[in-house]
Amino acid sequence: MSVLFVLLEKELLDVVRDRRTVVLTLVLPVLLYPGILTLMGAIIAAGKDRLKHEPLVVAVTTADAQRFLDARAPPPHTTWRRVARPEAEALLRDKKVAAIVDAKEGAAADVDGGRQATVTVLYTKRFDRSMEALERVRPVLEAAGARALRLRLEARALDPAFATPVKLEAVDLDFQKELGPLIASRLLPVVLLMMLFIGALYPAVDLTAGEKERGTLETLLVCPVRPVQVMAAKYLTVALVSVVSTLVNLGAMAGTFGAGLSLAGEGASTSLRFTAGQVAVMLACLVPAALLVSGVALAVSSMARTFKEGQSLMTPVMLAGLAPALVSQMPGIELTTVTALVPLLNVALLVKAAVLGTATAATTALTVGSVLVSAALALKWAASAFDSEVFRFGGTPGWAKVWAGRKRG
Amino acid sequence: MSPVIEVHGIIHDFGALRAVDGVSFEVAAGEVVGLLGPNGAGKTTTLRVLAGLLTPSAGRAVLNGVDVHRQPLEARRRLGFLTASTGLYERLTGREVLTTFGRLQGLDEATLARRVAEVTRELELEDFLDRRCGQLSQGQRQRISIGRAVVHDPPAYVLDEPTASLDPLASRDILELVQRARARGKAVLFSTHRMEEAEHLCTRLLFVRGGRIVARGTAEALRAESGQATLTGAFLHFASGAAEARP
Repeated sequence: MSVLFVLLEKELLDVVRDRRTVVLTLVLPVLLYPGILTLMGAIIAAGKDRLKHEPLVVAVTTADAQRFLDARAPPPHTTWRRVARPEAEALLRDKKVAAIVDAKEGAAADVDGGRQATVTVLYTKRFDRSMEALERVRPVLEAAGARALRLRLEARALDPAFATPVKLEAVDLDFQKELGPLIASRLLPVVLLMMLFIGALYPAVDLTAGEKERGTLETLLVCPVRPVQVMAAKYLTVALVSVVSTLVNLGAMAGTFGAGLSLAGEGASTSLRFTAGQVAVMLACLVPAALLVSGVALAVSSMARTFKEGQSLMTPVMLAGLAPALVSQMPGIELTTVTALVPLLNVALLVKAAVLGTATAATTALTVGSVLVSAALALKWAASAFDSEVFRFGGTPGWAKVWAGRKRG
Repeated sequence: MSPVIEVHGIIHDFGALRAVDGVSFEVAAGEVVGLLGPNGAGKTTTLRVLAGLLTPSAGRAVLNGVDVHRQPLEARRRLGFLTASTGLYERLTGREVLTTFGRLQGLDEATLARRVAEVTRELELEDFLDRRCGQLSQGQRQRISIGRAVVHDPPAYVLDEPTASLDPLASRDILELVQRARARGKAVLFSTHRMEEAEHLCTRLLFVRGGRIVARGTAEALRAESGQATLTGAFLHFASGAAEARP
C-alpha cells in the first residue's frame, strides 16, 4: 500500500469522524436550502395573506374625497370612516387608521367641470398595514379617475386611445413567468462560494494547525514519509471535502428550486430546473475552485500553531474569498474575457451566467483555465509551507520565505 | 559493541540563538542513556535533530549506520520516537493508529498483523485497543503512543520525557517497557526530569546545559564528580554551571 494512500486513508477517516466537518459540509446544506428558502417563502406568503385579510379602517377627510371613493365598492375588509384631517393624522400615528384619503372641498366639482383635482393618500411605510391600505385605495381612486376620463371622452366623442397616445408595455422575455433563474442567479454565486470556503477552511485548519496543537503532526513526520506526501494527503482530503460540500450544496439548492417555491401574491412562480449543460458548466468551474481554495487554506492554516490561531487567520481569507461573489452582484459586472481571468470573481460570474443561460464556451474555458492556474500556484505555496520547519513547529519566518521554499528541513 | 545511535558535533541555531552547541554522544545496543538538563538546555532540539525533524546547522546524526539527514527515510525506519507532547488521533481507535503507522513504516500486512499482536500483548492494550483514542485515560493513551512508536520494532528508541504527564502507576509501566526493550538489545535514549527514573533505568547519563554536554558518566560517577550525595544534587550542581564540561 503506497504511503500516500495510507496517509489519505488516515486523513479521510479522521475527517469523516469529525462531527463538525460532517455538519458543516453535509447536514447544513441539506437542511439549509429547503429549510431557509421554504421558510422564507412561507413567511412572505403568510404575511401577505394575513395583510390581505386584515380589517383596515381608512380615514376620509371630506365629502369630495368620499365621492371619489364611492366610484367603486370598498375593497374587502376595508371600511371608510369620515374624520377631519388633523384628527385623522393623529389616528394614523396611533395606528387607529391605516391611511387617510384627503381632497379639498370642490374637488369633485372640478373634475365634473373638466378640470383636474388632487386626491392625497397619506400613509406611512413604517407600518405594513398602512402600505396595504395604500394598495387597497389606489385601484379605487384609479377607477374614479378612469371613469371621469371615460365620461369626458364620450362627451367629446373621442376614442379612449386619444387620452393615451403612447402606451408603454414592458415585456421581460426571460422572466415574465419564471422568477427562479433570477433569484438563483443572485443567490447561487454567493452561497456556493461561501460553502466552498466553509467546506475547505475548517478541515484545513483542523488537519494542520489542529494537528500541531494536538501533537500528532510530529508523529507523522518522524515516520519514513516526505513532507510533500503529508501535504498531498491533506490537500486531497481538504479538496475532496470541499468538492463534496459544493456538490451537496448545488444538489440541495437545485432540489429546492426544482421543487419550486411559492411566493404568494408575486404573480409568478420561482420554479427552476437546471439542465445538464448548466450543471456541467457550474461543476467545471466549481471543482477547480475547490482545488484553489483548498491550496490557499492549507498554505495559510499551516502557518498557525493552534486551531484558534488558524481560525483567526482564516477569517480574512474567508472575507477576501467572498468579496468576488458580492462584486459579481453589482450592476454591470458580467463575465467577459477580462473578468474571466480574475480568480473567484470569474467563478461567481460563470455560475451566474450558467443559471441565466448566458455562459459561452470561450468565457467558460477562460474561467476554468484561470482557476486551474491559480490552483496550481496555491498548491505550490502549500507545498513550500509544508516543506519548512515553520510548518512543523510554528513560528513567524515571513511568508515570503515560505513561498520561496527556504529554510527547509 | 557498535553504536546504534551516534551524534557527532551537532550544532543547531534558531536564528541568532544557538540551541545546541557541538553535542556528541553514542548509544550502543542494550544501553539506556539518560539525557538530563534544565528546561531550555537543548534536550528536545537535540532529539528532534536526531529524528530528522530539524536540520542541524553543523554536525551529523547516524541511526544504525544510516545518516539521518542524507537518508532521512531509511534512518526513520530505524527509530522509535516518542515525546511527552506527542498526541494521538483522537477520532481513530488504537488499532487504527497502530496499523496506520505500521503501514507508514513499510511493514507488509503479515508482519503488521504479527507486530500489532505483539505490541498489544506487551503493552497490555487488549481492553481498549478498539476504542477511539479520545475516550482513553492518559495512561492508556501513552501506551498506545508507545505502541505507535515501536510497532515497526526499530533498533533505536528515543523517548523525550515519556512519563512527564503520567501518574506513578502509568509511569512504572513505561519504565518496565524501557527495561524490557534494553533486555532485547534496543538502544534507548531517554530524556527525563525525574532523577529517580534516570538513576533506576540509565546505564549512562548526559547532563546538558546551554546546548552543551557538561558532564557524562554513570550515576555513581556523576555523584562523585559533583561531590553530591544524590543524583538530584548532582543535577543541581551541573545545571547551575558550577562545573565545566569534561573533555
